[in-house]
Amino acid sequence: MNFKKVKVVFFKEFMEVMRDKRTVFTVMVLPVILYPVLIIGLNTIMMRQAGVLEEKGATVAVSDSISSASSQAIITDLSQIEHYTIIPAAENAQSLYESKDIQAIISIADSVSASGLHSFKAYIQYDAANERGQLIYSKLRQSLKSSEKRLIQEQLEIRSIDTGILSLISITELDTSSSQRRMGMLLGTFLPYIMIMMLLGGASVVAADLVAGEKERKTLETLLVAAIGRKEIVIGKYLTIITMGMLNLIINLFSVSFSLKFMLSNAGINMEGAQMPLKAIFILLAAMLPLATLFSAILLSISTFSRNMKEARSYEQPLLFISMMLGMISFLPAIEMNNLMSLIPVVNIALLFKAVMVEDYQLSHLIITIISTLVLDVAAIWGSIRLFNAEGILFRTEDDSGSLKSVKKNKRNFFSPYYGLIYFSIALVALFYLGSYMQSKELYKGLLYTQIFIILLPVVLLLRLLKQDLNSTLRLKAPKVLDTLLVIFMAIPGAILAAIIGQLINRIFPFPSQYLENLSQLFKLDIPLWQSFLVIAVAPGICEEILFRGLMPRFFERYGMRMNIIITALLFAAFHLDPFRFVPVFLLGLLLGYQTLKSGSIYLSMLSHTVNNSLAVFIMHFAKAPWMKYLGTSEELHYWLAAPAVIILSIAIYLFHKHTGGNECVES
Amino acid sequence: MIKVQNLVKSFPKRDGSFFHAVDDISFEAQDGEIVCLLGVNGAGKTTAMRVLSTVLKASSGSAEVQGWDINKSPQKVRENLGFLSGDTGLYNRLRASEFIRYFGRLYSLDEALISQRINEMADLLDMHEFLDKKIDFLSTGMKQKVSIVRSIIHDPPVMIFDEPTGGLDILTARNIVSFIRSCKERGKCVLFSTHIMREAERLADRIVMIHRGKLLAEGSLEELRDSTSEHDLDDIFIHYVNQTAMESEVLAHEF
Repeated sequence: MNFKKVKVVFFKEFMEVMRDKRTVFTVMVLPVILYPVLIIGLNTIMMRQAGVLEEKGATVAVSDSISSASSQAIITDLSQIEHYTIIPAAENAQSLYESKDIQAIISIADSVSASGLHSFKAYIQYDAANERGQLIYSKLRQSLKSSEKRLIQEQLEIRSIDTGILSLISITELDTSSSQRRMGMLLGTFLPYIMIMMLLGGASVVAADLVAGEKERKTLETLLVAAIGRKEIVIGKYLTIITMGMLNLIINLFSVSFSLKFMLSNAGINMEGAQMPLKAIFILLAAMLPLATLFSAILLSISTFSRNMKEARSYEQPLLFISMMLGMISFLPAIEMNNLMSLIPVVNIALLFKAVMVEDYQLSHLIITIISTLVLDVAAIWGSIRLFNAEGILFRTEDDSGSLKSVKKNKRNFFSPYYGLIYFSIALVALFYLGSYMQSKELYKGLLYTQIFIILLPVVLLLRLLKQDLNSTLRLKAPKVLDTLLVIFMAIPGAILAAIIGQLINRIFPFPSQYLENLSQLFKLDIPLWQSFLVIAVAPGICEEILFRGLMPRFFERYGMRMNIIITALLFAAFHLDPFRFVPVFLLGLLLGYQTLKSGSIYLSMLSHTVNNSLAVFIMHFAKAPWMKYLGTSEELHYWLAAPAVIILSIAIYLFHKHTGGNECVES
Repeated sequence: MIKVQNLVKSFPKRDGSFFHAVDDISFEAQDGEIVCLLGVNGAGKTTAMRVLSTVLKASSGSAEVQGWDINKSPQKVRENLGFLSGDTGLYNRLRASEFIRYFGRLYSLDEALISQRINEMADLLDMHEFLDKKIDFLSTGMKQKVSIVRSIIHDPPVMIFDEPTGGLDILTARNIVSFIRSCKERGKCVLFSTHIMREAERLADRIVMIHRGKLLAEGSLEELRDSTSEHDLDDIFIHYVNQTAMESEVLAHEF
């Protein structure tokens, strides 16, 4: 890598970006003026609005069914409320209320308890669905409460009891939180969300311009024939996006902090000694940097993939949307930072942000957050460079999303990544709604129906509709004997390894106990062993394979076998709708995809999948058998089992690879 | 010089088969010589030039630019090559001088040398008045001059022009034509592509005709005239196209 040339690219791009008035406005000018205008403006409007409501007062009808001296006193108290008019409730009170001529109706009744205590009941009818109604209710309640206090006082005096009894406990606040932390809490709730959006916003304005824009303006080719490698071009542009994202972030962070502090002190909240949480801001900028690099790399990939800026902007939308959802987690009060949360991108930053703002965070979370984000970032930038080197993508001219017209012309055109993702999304939604509905009725039958009607049958119908040959499309081809044997030797150690990896993950990021309970319920139903095998092992072995090793790989063939296996395994893992098992299921998906795509026979992965799931049924069923202690405890498998598993799996894969033609792909 | 041997560039089609945009082409271009790649639209001229300038990777076959292999040393190839096409875009937010300087830096030239070259070229092409203007405000002719200087800022021994006059008016096109001639005078090896027969007739020392990715014929205008007994380049071209069409028909009958 020639860093000098990276620098040349970076400075040129930065200069060019800074000359774009639109970008400068969104990244620099807007945040500086936005917050003061927004916060201070809103605040003023709100205060003025509250004053207006006060002055507006209210007309309240009171029906007094007692008409005693005490009830009269209560009504007199009510009429003391400033700007309020109290009228006696006539018969038309209800219709007046409905026509909004009066805003509340109070009915006063009384009762006498067994011990002879005379008490009052006040019913307040009001409309809580608007601010004025709420204000009226609180005013009326306040007035009634003070009347109550006075009445009690009178009673006590009659019985010659010290009225001090009314306040036996007096409460004085001694808040140990500094005003710094109070401000931190306030900032920490909504600031992470704003910051994440700002970071993404600032970076995306630039990213679309940098590659897709060059394609649009036909300058890319000129750059590519110059004496610079593509890696240097990508890194130079990547640094530009990071810089603009971070610049936007810094300006936003300071602008929002200043205007918020201004607002709080204006609102009379005690900000004595409150400093801007400077230290927190610096920690956060350090934590946001990896996220900026991750966003930049993803945005750069999108920009590289897109043919023009418009396309780039529309491909950016899903990223924006997902980040928005993930960023909103800081609004939820109950969710706190832990090791697992610090692995999830965006969520980790949002929670860390909150924790840092109240000066209550763990260094380990900070480190996990930064490292996990950086790992994703490296993967994303590697992907960008790959895309930049893939001429089919860099010089993509036609719209290969596959229009319906082209599908009509040639049914095989349906097998494009675009339709693959659409099919997957529909299947996922069907699984989520229909599947859980079926399973809620009767678990085992529901599981079986899900496999057959949601996963298997639609695939068969779709292929019929497209008039495709089932056997060749789904690779329903008899496997070779040796391959079949080897697959068994891959499946068993594979299942053990996946289980052990699952255990390891559980150690570091413990599953919630509720989750484990639900999972074990699946195996504890009182049904014969053969039924368990059918529902848990055989049905998924056939149906899920038809979908994920039969249909799905057809959509992604253009990316080559290796990428195809990875993509379908990712979809396979996502389909299980279970974040805790994502990694083991993904690994299993890799193995299954490899077996089928390499050999050209789906029966192999069906066998492998069935063996894998059978093993789980088997272990659960014989959990209490005395010989199980050789394999593991009732909770987990012995870790030493990983060693023979790795050895057997490696040998089996090696032999399988050789037997199926080495690095050659069986199919064209 | 440029040496192209059995060069093939294929693109995958949707149905899994391949489209051969450049199909087994070989030719050479010496220093101080202007060679023209002649063919109708879609013949594969641009693809061939993109492969030569390492923007695209060759599917098979090889090519050398100034002795450097396009597959093994793409960076060296780019350093020895100036590339200019008719529809090149420019960075509109940069000033003309900044644009040229940017490319000079990419070729690792030192600042003094860049300034000197810009000055020389500006004298030659009469560019001083707009060197400090933003490219956005320049006319097509001015932009074309900026592109010319950009392509030659590193004084490369080999120049490739892809349809350099495409879309230009007659006055601007003349700038380019005289620039191509001056490259030859300075001993550079020049390869340019066009679909305009007159341009090829006027400029080229040798003509390489390609059609549907395949080489039709190669030689100087005189040689091509002699072997076809046609005078106009148009007729010569059509002669070769018909000949190959007949040959492929004969082949189809034989098999």
